Amino acid sequence: MPDFEEGGAREVTLKINGDDFRILVEPRENLREVLHDRLGFTGTKEMCDRGACGSCTVIMDGRPVVSCMMLAVEAGGHDIETVEDIERKQHPLIETYADHNAMQCGYCTPGFVVTAKALLDRNPDPDEEAIKSALEGNICRCGTYPAHIWAIQAAANRLKTREA
Amino acid sequence: MRRFKHFDASSLDEAVSLLARFEGRAKVIAGGTDIVGTLKDSVLPEPYEALVNIKTIPGLEGIRNGAGVLKIGALTRLEDIAHNETVQTKYAALAQAARVVATPHIREMGTIAGNICQNTRCWYYRCAHNRFHCVRKGHAAPGQSLECFASDGDNRYHSIFGDVKDCLAVNPSDTIPALIALGATLKTTKRSIAVKDIFPPSDEPTKMTIIDSDEIVIEVEIPEPQASSRSAYHKVAIRKSIDFPIVNCAAVVDFEGDVVKDCHICLNAVHYKPYVPERAEALLEGEPLTDEQAATAGEAAVWGAKPLPMNSYKITMAKGLVKKILIACREAG
Ligand code: FES
Ligand code: FES
Repeated sequence: MPDFEEGGAREVTLKINGDDFRILVEPRENLREVLHDRLGFTGTKEMCDRGACGSCTVIMDGRPVVSCMMLAVEAGGHDIETVEDIERKQHPLIETYADHNAMQCGYCTPGFVVTAKALLDRNPDPDEEAIKSALEGNICRCGTYPAHIWAIQAAANRLKTREA
Repeated sequence: MRRFKHFDASSLDEAVSLLARFEGRAKVIAGGTDIVGTLKDSVLPEPYEALVNIKTIPGLEGIRNGAGVLKIGALTRLEDIAHNETVQTKYAALAQAARVVATPHIREMGTIAGNICQNTRCWYYRCAHNRFHCVRKGHAAPGQSLECFASDGDNRYHSIFGDVKDCLAVNPSDTIPALIALGATLKTTKRSIAVKDIFPPSDEPTKMTIIDSDEIVIEVEIPEPQASSRSAYHKVAIRKSIDFPIVNCAAVVDFEGDVVKDCHICLNAVHYKPYVPERAEALLEGEPLTDEQAATAGEAAVWGAKPLPMNSYKITMAKGLVKKILIACREAG
């Protein structure tokens, strides 16, 4: 039985990709655990579990944040966007990442794509410097860094022609 | 991770009474990027019993530009400070400091008050599962004496102004030197206090700040600098992203022509608290700021430094950094 003791586990409503999920969480559970291990949003990867690699990035209220360093109890009521939604909405990043082979093992890739989506939402025409600084918090053990710049610029171009 | 209680405070009063109720065993959580790490690593011998979330209190976030003073709400994210136009133009050192904290993701979460109140990064203190039960953690187990493991361990990132019988950990904040050089003040639930005064005296080097366990930072206030002044900040770290400073420095210099009218310098990560090199400030005032003067100020800034076996390189770094920042102030604007 869940204990609703004061300050203990409680029910929160997580707004993920536009859908509401009511779930009982303990204070010590982080958002990445809840998204990935309990709700099946498996695109939100764990690598460092200390906020240092960006592979667990989600967009919260428009900001790219590392979900491993955020308590799930504090995420209720905020708009959370995961890589699954970026794919579902057929964001051009998904194709341009494939076109430019911006991955090797692919483990870090969702974190990069989510970070890139947050960047393009704010800055539809980022130059190389802007892309590099937005990705400063993402680590790729396979060293695919240059390809991300090409993929993100290509996605920005597609978004522009889509709008035109 | 050990269990803890968690409360969403809806007002400052509620948060303060929760903190008081736990008598020091509860902590405020804002951005969480520091405290969640210490909890994951079970760094502390006695973990916090409760966290009090203050993000649910309205009105603590945002930058307001008032009459001659900039007011930054405690929960304002570092990324928002780095990108704020007023901060970039009038308080450049702060924008530059906020811009290089950790990573963009951390800056989207981390707050200005959290950056000021953050815990130490000493690798003995931070080592997982309280492996090094050091003097900073206190409460020796029976038959155990407390020591600073850095004093004869790997002390390459530790204090260059410390005394080896104390804790040698340094203050790792990026924004504090900029705030001190700019003359910032903190407004808390208990008082109004200059940022430079929130640090404990030298016989208590194991405390990060003198802010009480039931006291909450509400706002940071920065007086508008003179129109004739310029500021700059720089951090030396291993990697451009994520790493804490090895040494960092901010300066605000007010010029009359080429002559320095007034000057404030603050180094960090060199001492248990931020270090204001008063000798360097004094020798600059009233003189033109030449490259030679800047170099002499760098020498004066590290006067009295006592390196540990592995960190004399930090003295060279601090000297060079002071010179570089002063020249950056001269060249700016
Ligand atoms: S797993 Fe969250 S930042 Fe690395
Ligand atoms: S593609 Fe393997 S870690 Fe980035």
